[in-house]
Amino acid sequence: MTFIKKQSVGFYFSVIVLILTVAGLAMYLKNASTDYFSNLGKDPIILGCLIAAAVVEIIFIIVSQKGVKMWMDVFPVVISVLIMLGAVMFASSRVNGIASIMTFEKNAQTMADLSSAVTGIALCLAAGIASIIASFFDIIKEA
Amino acid sequence: MANKARRRQRCWRGLTALTASVLTVSVVAQGIVSGFRTDIDKFLGTTSTKIVTEGEADTSDIYTYTSDYSSTTELLDAIEDLGERMSEEGSVLLKNNGALPLSDEETKKVSLLGFSSYNPVQGGDMGSSLSVNMGTDADTVDFVAALAAKGFEINPTLQSLYDSLKDTFKTEVNMWGNIIEYTHIVAPSTTGVYSSKEPSQEMLDRADAGWKDSMDDYNVMIVTLARSSSENANYTPGTAGVDSEQNLNQTDPLGLSDDERNLIAAAVEAKKQNGGKVIVLLNNANAMEVDEIENNEGVDAILQIGLPGGYGFYGVADILSGEANPSGHLTDTYAVKNANSPAAQNYGDLQWTNPNPELSINDAIVEAEGIYTGYKYYETRYADLVLGQGNADSSAGSSTGNSWNYEDEVTYPFGYGLSYTTFEQTLDSLEVNLDSKTVTANVTVTNTGDVAGKDVVQLYVSLPYTQYDIENGIEKAAIQLLDYGKTSLLDPGASETVTITADAQYMASWDSTSENAAGTQGCYILDAGDYYFTVGNGAHEAVNNVLKAQDQAVEGNADKVKSWTLDKFDNSTFAITKNGTAVENQLEDMDLNYWIPDTVTYLTRNDWENTWPKTYKDLTATDEMLEILDNDTYEITANGDPSAITFGADNGLVLADLKGVSDLEDERWTLLLDQIELSECMIRTAFGGTSTKAIESIMSPEAIQNDGPNGFNSYPLGQYANTDTESGDPCAVSADDKNLEYKFGTMANATVIAQTFSKDLANEFGKICGNYSLWGNLTILWGAGINLHRVPYNARNHEYYSEDSILTAYQGASYIAGGKEYGCILAPKHLAFNDTEVNRTGVSVFMTEQKARETELRGTQACIEDAGALGIMTAYNRVGIYTDNSHYGLLHNILREEWGFKGLMTEDFIQDPTYAALKEAVHCGVTMTCNTGDNSLAAVNEKWAYWTEENVGQDAVLLQDLKNAMTWQNYALANSNAMDGLASNSKLVSVRTWYDNLITGLEIVFALLTICSIVMYVRAGKGKKKNA
Repeated sequence: MTFIKKQSVGFYFSVIVLILTVAGLAMYLKNASTDYFSNLGKDPIILGCLIAAAVVEIIFIIVSQKGVKMWMDVFPVVISVLIMLGAVMFASSRVNGIASIMTFEKNAQTMADLSSAVTGIALCLAAGIASIIASFFDIIKEA
Repeated sequence: MANKARRRQRCWRGLTALTASVLTVSVVAQGIVSGFRTDIDKFLGTTSTKIVTEGEADTSDIYTYTSDYSSTTELLDAIEDLGERMSEEGSVLLKNNGALPLSDEETKKVSLLGFSSYNPVQGGDMGSSLSVNMGTDADTVDFVAALAAKGFEINPTLQSLYDSLKDTFKTEVNMWGNIIEYTHIVAPSTTGVYSSKEPSQEMLDRADAGWKDSMDDYNVMIVTLARSSSENANYTPGTAGVDSEQNLNQTDPLGLSDDERNLIAAAVEAKKQNGGKVIVLLNNANAMEVDEIENNEGVDAILQIGLPGGYGFYGVADILSGEANPSGHLTDTYAVKNANSPAAQNYGDLQWTNPNPELSINDAIVEAEGIYTGYKYYETRYADLVLGQGNADSSAGSSTGNSWNYEDEVTYPFGYGLSYTTFEQTLDSLEVNLDSKTVTANVTVTNTGDVAGKDVVQLYVSLPYTQYDIENGIEKAAIQLLDYGKTSLLDPGASETVTITADAQYMASWDSTSENAAGTQGCYILDAGDYYFTVGNGAHEAVNNVLKAQDQAVEGNADKVKSWTLDKFDNSTFAITKNGTAVENQLEDMDLNYWIPDTVTYLTRNDWENTWPKTYKDLTATDEMLEILDNDTYEITANGDPSAITFGADNGLVLADLKGVSDLEDERWTLLLDQIELSECMIRTAFGGTSTKAIESIMSPEAIQNDGPNGFNSYPLGQYANTDTESGDPCAVSADDKNLEYKFGTMANATVIAQTFSKDLANEFGKICGNYSLWGNLTILWGAGINLHRVPYNARNHEYYSEDSILTAYQGASYIAGGKEYGCILAPKHLAFNDTEVNRTGVSVFMTEQKARETELRGTQACIEDAGALGIMTAYNRVGIYTDNSHYGLLHNILREEWGFKGLMTEDFIQDPTYAALKEAVHCGVTMTCNTGDNSLAAVNEKWAYWTEENVGQDAVLLQDLKNAMTWQNYALANSNAMDGLASNSKLVSVRTWYDNLITGLEIVFALLTICSIVMYVRAGKGKKKNA
């Protein structure tokens, strides 16, 4: 069976999850380097959650190619929880700054800095939703 | 079968992922909610704490403060009434050839021209914004509605025409994907330019070809021109500040565009046919360039109305109809060309060559004009021109390029205003008493006209400018306002003697070189020489009176001048403040020459030409400066004896035991604050948020903070109102009170309040705010805008009173004192030097100490010394190179020591922990930042890693600073209405809100669902094995 024919809906969703997670992580790193938010530094919990989710997702996709393993069924749950935790922590760390920009410190620069925060949070939440959907499907088709 | 089992397994796996994710979010949300609880409560209208009084309690005296009103209806009626009267007395008649007031017949024939007639600016775009209220006892109105209510009839053709063009007036502002539309003109952003929205003549003709003819029947033509104001906005001087694509021949954003000129011209032209009148309304807080309107003989009257708020247009209508006689006077100089002032030479985005955004190192503004802002420049240079001194006639700063000439530079002077009647003022007597430190003037005001009216008495002084001043770099304005008063309503022929007892310290000048009582340098001085006192309709008339008394050939009245001679140089009378503190230099480091010698040449009246300010740009901060600009100027060290500072004692006191105790020397303060835990001090100073949080160890209640200078516009009346009518609270409201949705962002803006020149009206506004605070349980209002109008271009000028420090100080002080009677903490903001919105977070502001003390600080001083303000807000900007919050000389030595400030002090809304500079701020006497978070040191440490008990606990100086901060904070609260309802045996208890229950419910439900899903997943797995 060719590689593509072997893959199920879950594979594609998992790849989407991986892409969105990495994109969300990249946007977080970008936002954490902006002038406005750089003072907050890089939260190890957020980084840890998103990186771990991506790594586990990769492992899950690769190992799933060898067939469904019961012990791997916990992976989608772990991935979803890690991503949602990272997303909520990301949003929480930016709430004060977003409120301040929208009320008192709005200018072209701060709005640009804010946009990467909003985009990053949106990407992480999308990754979380996608991972929940993905968890309803297997990576490869049943034999 | 196996596949079916697998599908079931996947399904339960997916559900497990779903429920576990929701469980995760709800668990994390629990923690987040704790951190933002106050803001969430504000948003949702919930409360998370309540006061419970246990046991037998005498509740007869637990409500210290009483409202003047017995219902919210009475309260709102009073607000509306004051709003109307504020504009009656705060609008300024600038020109009138008899066109005003209108006759009764004429009020039925009004043509409103200009889109701002139908879409006026009634508050700021941001800051002092108008709260539109409907369905309450004080619904707000715009100009059209106010005219209709007052029985005016307006041209329906024009109304329809402008209504049809409404879409063209819209300005869309993209706020994070939310498009907000404004139909009134808006102020440009700090990086934007002004775009006119006034329709062209062609556009009007296309919309309705007969619009001009319609004015034959409605021949009282009122043209409204507007400029908006806003926080975080800016007008860039000159053509650079104007949208170049519009090609409207507009040379300055505050000057007219061709469309505005043409509109006025069309009205003037129509007047030739319809025999009517042309009246121009200036709807602005930023001084516009209106010389061409003043000189337009076809314009019959000009009325400046500021930003009238929700009810001010009733007052404007009253003026137009003659129901009210205008008595306002300008609080700013209206220059012919604003960009030609010396202050404007150093304004805008002037960046360091070595900025660092991470540390908020951005701009450097050198205020090289010194004390010569506003009328102090224009009138002083005029005086020197008359006196033939100081190269005043040079072309430096001239807007024509020729020799400087007053008439070419000023359209309307500071303090100018007309009336429907005439008044004569005589300065009957004047006494200077340096023992009592007063200047007492008796001025008789006589109404010599035909209409009843009020008149303003402006008492000015001209200080001697001596050789000593020249040699020691002390500048003296040729004329300055010393104090003012206002008559009652005088009938024609009636007289009233106004006695003004001015504070003589405001005649003194700061001399940074003088010896002082502290044994160092820097003192307030009075030069030997002749002091001239006079009254007049504005600063120009006043200086002319003085020059006339000095035998100069000017149009002035020497009879209105009294002189007083000081024989000997005096650096002792004002060497000690009212608080008993010896003054000395505190702000030398605000002078850039302190850091980089011989960099700045400050403007001096001794040589206008060669000291005319150059623009100081592309400055480079030295390494020494960068060490301070990095915002880390206080080092926590092991010092002193930390054990000598007591925390966590059990002395059995609560804050309610010190209700109303205004003596800080009372030993109970020490006993009470010894009870506070160190961690509580550290958390409360770090997380001041937008309310002062409860402190359990001393039962200090939460006190809600509000904005802004036009009233309590943060929350509706009912958000925190007490709806328990059985509680004994005299200001408890019914839960179905129709006024609970009312928002009190409705007063006219600060310039209108100042234009009244009425301390009584400012005081009345304070009292109404105090009453409102009782009904709304809203104790703290960041309310009195005491920064000065350095230039008209600062778009936030609408929140500040004036270019003059005395008018600012006394309007602010009167307002604050009014609120204090009701236990409301009306707090001045900002301390200090916040006179630009461009890079306001981080901008370094440089000036001489004389300028600092005699301009901006003098605008605040009376609020503290006389009104006893119990709260104050610091500023976003730097004071020199120090963050405002870390300047010890300003916040501790001047504010607390010299002026005796004892209250709470908040930072402005600085969210960057580095720039907030917590340890520095606490050391300087700041009692709270504006950050919020979980009520734990762990949450604080996420922002300030150094703020641990272990680290702070070794520093005795900082420990005492923390005790002081909490003492001042709670002293303010104890002397406010935040304590109403609290008895000594009252306790604050936590209340679970509906969202607490929701989150807990979600946690339980989704925890159970997750467990169920896991169980079902396992069962499905066993089923699969069975089928395999």
